[in-house]
Amino acid sequence: MELSSDIVRIVSALSTWWWMILGLMFLLYIALDGADLGAGIFALFSKDEEERGAIMASMAGFWDGNETWLVVAGGVLFGAFPLVYGSAFNFLMIPLMIALWGIISRAVAFEFHIHARSSKRLWGWAFAIGSLTAPFFAGVSLGAVLQGFPMKSGIAMSGIASRGFTTPVMHYAGGAMNFLTPFSIWTGFGAVIAAGLAGGLFLCARFLPGDVIHERAKSWTNLFSYLALIAIVITLVWSYAIFPWAAAKWTGPNWWIWAIWFVIVLFFAFKSMTNHSMQHDFTALLWGEGVVVLLWAAMWATMFPYIVPGTWTVHAASNPANSMAVFTLFMTGFVPVMIMYNWYQIWVFRGRFTKKSVYGAH
Amino acid sequence: MIIENSLPVLLSRLDFAWITSMHILWTPMTIGMSWLLFFMELAWLKSGDERWYKLNRFFEKIFIINFGAGVATGVTMEMAFGILYGPFSQAVGPFFGNILGFETITAFMYEAGFIGLMVFGWGKISKGMHLFATLNVGISSSLSAMWILVANSWMQTPNGVVLKDGLFQVSNWWHAILNDNFIWGFPHMWVATVELALFVFASVSAWFVLKNRNADLFIKLLKPTLLALLIVAPLQIYIGDSAGKDVADTQPTSLAAMEGHFHTYLPDGKPNTSWNLIAIPDVEAGKNLFSIQIPHVLSLLETHTWDGVVKGMDQYPVNERPDVWVPFYAFRVMVAIGFALFFVAIWGNWLRMRGRMNASELRKHPWFLRAVVFSGFLPFLAIWGGWWVREIGRQPWVVFGLMRTYEGVSNMSMAQEIVWFVGYIIFELVVWSGAWYFFSRVIQKGVDDIPHSDTLFHDHGEDHDAAQAGGGHVAPTFAHKPMMHSDR
Repeated sequence: MELSSDIVRIVSALSTWWWMILGLMFLLYIALDGADLGAGIFALFSKDEEERGAIMASMAGFWDGNETWLVVAGGVLFGAFPLVYGSAFNFLMIPLMIALWGIISRAVAFEFHIHARSSKRLWGWAFAIGSLTAPFFAGVSLGAVLQGFPMKSGIAMSGIASRGFTTPVMHYAGGAMNFLTPFSIWTGFGAVIAAGLAGGLFLCARFLPGDVIHERAKSWTNLFSYLALIAIVITLVWSYAIFPWAAAKWTGPNWWIWAIWFVIVLFFAFKSMTNHSMQHDFTALLWGEGVVVLLWAAMWATMFPYIVPGTWTVHAASNPANSMAVFTLFMTGFVPVMIMYNWYQIWVFRGRFTKKSVYGAH
Repeated sequence: MIIENSLPVLLSRLDFAWITSMHILWTPMTIGMSWLLFFMELAWLKSGDERWYKLNRFFEKIFIINFGAGVATGVTMEMAFGILYGPFSQAVGPFFGNILGFETITAFMYEAGFIGLMVFGWGKISKGMHLFATLNVGISSSLSAMWILVANSWMQTPNGVVLKDGLFQVSNWWHAILNDNFIWGFPHMWVATVELALFVFASVSAWFVLKNRNADLFIKLLKPTLLALLIVAPLQIYIGDSAGKDVADTQPTSLAAMEGHFHTYLPDGKPNTSWNLIAIPDVEAGKNLFSIQIPHVLSLLETHTWDGVVKGMDQYPVNERPDVWVPFYAFRVMVAIGFALFFVAIWGNWLRMRGRMNASELRKHPWFLRAVVFSGFLPFLAIWGGWWVREIGRQPWVVFGLMRTYEGVSNMSMAQEIVWFVGYIIFELVVWSGAWYFFSRVIQKGVDDIPHSDTLFHDHGEDHDAAQAGGGHVAPTFAHKPMMHSDR
């Protein structure tokens, strides 16, 4: 009796630990690849292939590293919370599929655009459109997950006789289009706005002041700063109205923590905008990323103890004790190592560009 | 008909089979070629021979395109288990999920971290650091293959687990990781990647000799490549044979399918020892409609005795028998290619021994060169064959003997399955045809426009007006960026 309750407590602690690492992995993905994707959305409005090529070249060397955080987040989800992995991804089949098609288009466009002669335009557009669909449908997926999904046990596939097969494991039980709601469509737009802002800040920091791309990115960033502020407010109000679990926290006894947090977010946004207008571009990018970190952490904290609100708690979704222990022992140490060599990679490729110089050297 | 061949389940299998089959066209070349690039770079740094540098930079272009295609198709794989086989992912999470987690954290991320340095780091990091990056790409991609093979082999021989609360809980990690199938399965796959990369090298080299472009340069590469193949090709046949025996012991239904072996005993009661060279199998009827048989060969192959009993399909219930057509013929294609490649390796080394390995002599043997060019395509087909044998031979189980495939399929409609299938046919074919088109463009362009390695660390073109992103308004030049080597 004593032992089993100890084990329950250990699993609970380990699953909370992995829930935090999962949050960190998703955060690294949206913070890093968000800028790449946003620069790609910016490239949708580029006048010529030279500019699209320059934008692609400005992220050569680390876009694949950034994208890999998504795969790592998937790996952590599968390794620590397979019950969520196997049900949420089933629920999100359609939006994830389209987001993946976007990612595929982008990834091959990076390689093919350099070598192409007559098909340069095609790959330029594949890059830009892929950069738009990936964050949009990732945002839709996030919004859908916040709303939760129905589950049942037994055979998952409909139209198949169970033939005596039973299992206590809960599978996804809804339809193909359950993910699609006004809220999830809105979060898709929200993700595009957030990525657009990050991309603008990234391009400002990446290209020399006075360069054509820098100039365009400057006004783009101004526009998206205001769009992002509006989007944050709409998302918060909407979430408050439809999610009782969020409302209970935000206006519960600890309301002042959330209020202070929100003020800090506004302060970061303000610093990002002022630094941007003073052309401290890299500093502006960092303050902007700070906003992403703060909002993501707040979202993660609002959801606790749920990993999928109303559907899976962190504790119920975790692997058995033995698997959690092994995963923790062998994998936790790699997290700082991964962050370190990714940082080294970004550091090697830092520096300012001009449209002409990168395109030629690409 | 088994339920796994009914349309909804079959479509889910096709959905997964298609994306994996297309993904496996890229990853072996990344793994094998990263090691070959490492050795070429090492040869360049050791000998100072500029030709190794040229060859390295040339094949690196192919490597990059290939890697990009591998990433593009690979991100889907990471999500596809949960999307298409959610209940399977949930049940096997405690082991399989952990291993996939190991793979992304220790291998996939590791590889992505170094590949950027390897590809774009020329001139930005020191030579030593670059070599180190290349080495790490080799190690990390091989590590990735190892974890994936651990996970897949465990589906073939699920050792070290107990089924509890609907989940495969691990009772012994060592048994589960070093499962029976993994012991030969991983070496078989890893050596395949090396053999594939070597034949791609040989094939491209032979094409240049055939076209009389940079013939001496490519013969310099062709010689060690063919010599290495003289070891690797027979080694792969040996490993493959051992892996086959392993399948005979642990997955007798899979072996029966790949040999088209239906009847354990002949009508007169003696063991059926015949090996089918070719056959027209009829799984429903449980027999071959037609076959060309060689007596005793099957017993010799599987039991190493003249009259040993090899269990046929008739020893197993009808609803536990896999399809025969694909495993039977895919297996034969793989084996035939394995021997054909060995023959090409012998042919090449025989020519070399007789002093024919130079441009003027080799052009007198155009059929050898053509055979080598053609051999570059065969390993891809052999790898497909091997995986189809493995995956279809395991049916109707997704975890052999423990979980039926239909039990693991996600909750989705046939419309969803078809949308996925059609969408991925388009996307994967665009990736494939695009990559192969650009392979051919890179090869057409050749090595002549690759600048001398001296230019790497001095000439930065227009970069002199580039400033550091982190430095605000100061604008130090690109060439003065801090680098890992001391003479900056």
